[in-house]
Amino acid sequence: MRRSAPFLLGPLWLAAACQGPGREAEILESPIPELTAGQSGTALTCSKVLTMDAENRVLNPGMIVLRENRIVYVGAPIEVPTGYEQVDFPELWAAPGMIDLHSHIQATGWWDTNDMVFPLNADLRVRPALDPWEPRIPVANAAGVTTLFGIPGSGTSISGFGTLYKTKTAGGYEGMVLKDPGGMKSAFNFNPQRGGGDVGNTWAGLTWNVEQLNDRVAARVDEGGTGDWQLENLEAVHRGELPVLIHCASAEGVAGVVRTWKCRYDTTCVVSHGSWDGHLAARFAAENGVPVNHGPRVLNFDSMIREEKIQGGAQAYVDAGVPLFSLNTDAPVMPQEELFLQGSMSARLGAEPYQMLQALTIHPAQSFLIGERVGSLEVGKDADVLITTGDPLDPRTRVEVVFIDGRIQYTRRDGAQLY
Amino acid sequence: MRRFTLLTLSALLLSGALAAQDAPDPGGVGGAGLALKAAKILTAAWEGPQVVDNGVLLVRDGKIEAVGRARDIEIPSDYEVVDVGDRWLSPGMVELHCHEAGLGIFSFVNDINDTVYLSNPGMRASTAVKPGNHQLQMALAGGVTTVLFIPGSGSNIGGQGVLLKTAFDKYEEKLVRDPGSMKLAQWGNPESWTIGVEMAFENWNTRDTLRRGIAYAKRWQAFEAGEGPEPERNISYDVFRDLLSGEIAISTHTQLYQVVLMTLTMVAAELQLPVFLDHSTVGGWLTGGLAQELGVPAIVGPRSVDTTARGFINWARNKHEGMRGVAAGYQERGLDMIGFNTDSGIIPQEELLVQGAMGVRYGFDESAMQMVRGLTIVPARTARIDDRLGSLEVGKDADILISNGHPADPRTAIDIVFVNGRRAYDAERDGRRW
Repeated sequence: MRRSAPFLLGPLWLAAACQGPGREAEILESPIPELTAGQSGTALTCSKVLTMDAENRVLNPGMIVLRENRIVYVGAPIEVPTGYEQVDFPELWAAPGMIDLHSHIQATGWWDTNDMVFPLNADLRVRPALDPWEPRIPVANAAGVTTLFGIPGSGTSISGFGTLYKTKTAGGYEGMVLKDPGGMKSAFNFNPQRGGGDVGNTWAGLTWNVEQLNDRVAARVDEGGTGDWQLENLEAVHRGELPVLIHCASAEGVAGVVRTWKCRYDTTCVVSHGSWDGHLAARFAAENGVPVNHGPRVLNFDSMIREEKIQGGAQAYVDAGVPLFSLNTDAPVMPQEELFLQGSMSARLGAEPYQMLQALTIHPAQSFLIGERVGSLEVGKDADVLITTGDPLDPRTRVEVVFIDGRIQYTRRDGAQLY
Repeated sequence: MRRFTLLTLSALLLSGALAAQDAPDPGGVGGAGLALKAAKILTAAWEGPQVVDNGVLLVRDGKIEAVGRARDIEIPSDYEVVDVGDRWLSPGMVELHCHEAGLGIFSFVNDINDTVYLSNPGMRASTAVKPGNHQLQMALAGGVTTVLFIPGSGSNIGGQGVLLKTAFDKYEEKLVRDPGSMKLAQWGNPESWTIGVEMAFENWNTRDTLRRGIAYAKRWQAFEAGEGPEPERNISYDVFRDLLSGEIAISTHTQLYQVVLMTLTMVAAELQLPVFLDHSTVGGWLTGGLAQELGVPAIVGPRSVDTTARGFINWARNKHEGMRGVAAGYQERGLDMIGFNTDSGIIPQEELLVQGAMGVRYGFDESAMQMVRGLTIVPARTARIDDRLGSLEVGKDADILISNGHPADPRTAIDIVFVNGRRAYDAERDGRRW
């Protein structure tokens, strides 16, 4: 399905939609569970549902049923047990909430994202700086971004551990956190190459620094760890339990990340940025099965000199066969609410629109070990649903309603549209 | 405390001896007994009756000997009787965030902020105490009888505070306890004095220092229980022995919801150290329910409110809601240990009472004397000195305010202040200072 284009192939959607009711008709019992006392639920019927599931189902029309904080049914519209609130959106689309794995808006302004005393900070966490009432969060939510990986900046080569959180407002830390630590942030070239008088001013020094610490952890990880509390989370990275997102750019940066974090340590790693001519190393990343999380720059001007064209990064990475390709904003480098626009621009530069939708939803979730919770509209997953006036990649589309964990977080009102 | 018991004892003996030579005050150590008769006595006991009408309070040797209704208490014939008429008695106030017992934070020498290293648990504010200084005389006139003089927030762990009476000229006489607390500044100042340090690193540094200190204190505990070798003495971490034994608590400069949350989840819940929230403003009150669950008191101030967005205060959590009383915020979330501070001289030390009054103005419920308690028994319990201070109860130090009305009312004037049973301030005798 990688190269298929459901958006352009209407009849295929129709076929997918027709399959649903045919199967369901034979089942006497409703696939939608009854509500028990005290539970609440909502059944949403939309003209089109982009499930983003493994079969790439698009339902015309479709129904999503939410019970408490989970999705309990996705399919053709059917009769709903009593107690569920039924809402019909005959003109609107539904899609899963979008996910950005490279975001720094958890802290106020630009402060508190870069602690740069030591070059390696394996026990720093963004949690102490995470402000649930940060005003950029509700704006992101209004643009359909429902899950963020809030991370430290790239000032040091092991920058610390980030938090995966929902863009819920006013619930405090406990109300918004999806997973903490959600994963590690590392930074390879450019920003972390320090002029602070310590080792790491060069690419060689930086790699030596990173590998010296990681070798120590890797050597002990099978024997129960180092016993050093400051390395507990890094040990979880080496056991594959926590993913690592690595800031890098240019071809040698992408290749270096793959060599160190995949070939040498075999971690669950995701290349982030991969900008400029990073796409020249796309095949190497693909061969080693390393996902790429591309952005905020999604094109390469450098290729104009050589090939007289602008090269879209997304298209290059996807064409090379990079698995689970995703997009980021590096917010606030790009405004967090413009995540969808990274997909639009990538499509403009030649990438497949449906794959760019995947890059905003299911791919970032799967590459970061939260594919069981978020990223698509499937039974059992978190009820994070966008109701839009059309294709989420189209800037003319408005986000009308955003559900997170089964509850409405945002409703657009005329004259009071947040984004 | 272990290191100061002998010193304190000898100081008491010395002051007793000196007092004896100069005809000691009735009520003071070595003096005759003192009986105070008043229209109203606010006891501020943690539990039990808070108010006694037409009361009598007996003082002997600097301690409260009896307190109750006039008809229930027999005044011994050799006691000096002072009838204050319609005026009220209440306990001397306790300030847990004072920087004014030395030269003062706005003086040309900053003697409470050493900002070379981020962690300085061995530094003692007691070395900077300037007895008889002007600010403490003003504090006394404002009804503040005990202060916790603490290092500033220029470093992550600033050092040890010292608990002092505001009266008297000699350090030994002023001393209540040293160390009085360990000062921790979790965020919001230490980063101003160094490069590359932000919120996450300060949190790491705090955890790192506290874990080292806990490990040190546990080695001593093992040694004292006969289960380990004698550890090498390290004056940087000695204060952790007092923390682990529960004799003192950490006074924590902490503010913003997310930072206060780390004080509660990391220092109190994870590391199990005795701790209280200081300042705890700018959205900190949103953690009030958790603070109550963990038994962590909040001593709020110098800012009494979160205001709407305005420059620095844009960090507050009420960007669209208007002003929010900080103390009221904690109270609404069920916290029962709420006190007030001035961060003197950010707010002048003598205005501690106004800090409480402003809390009430912005919604803090005072119907059960919560404000008076927040200036007396709550801070005394918080600093773990409630066996000696914080309420008018038998056996406690006779630190007593005589005022012409409810001490929560800023229009009320404080006329006389007794400390250790001695008439330390008398507006009529000394001239009114505040």
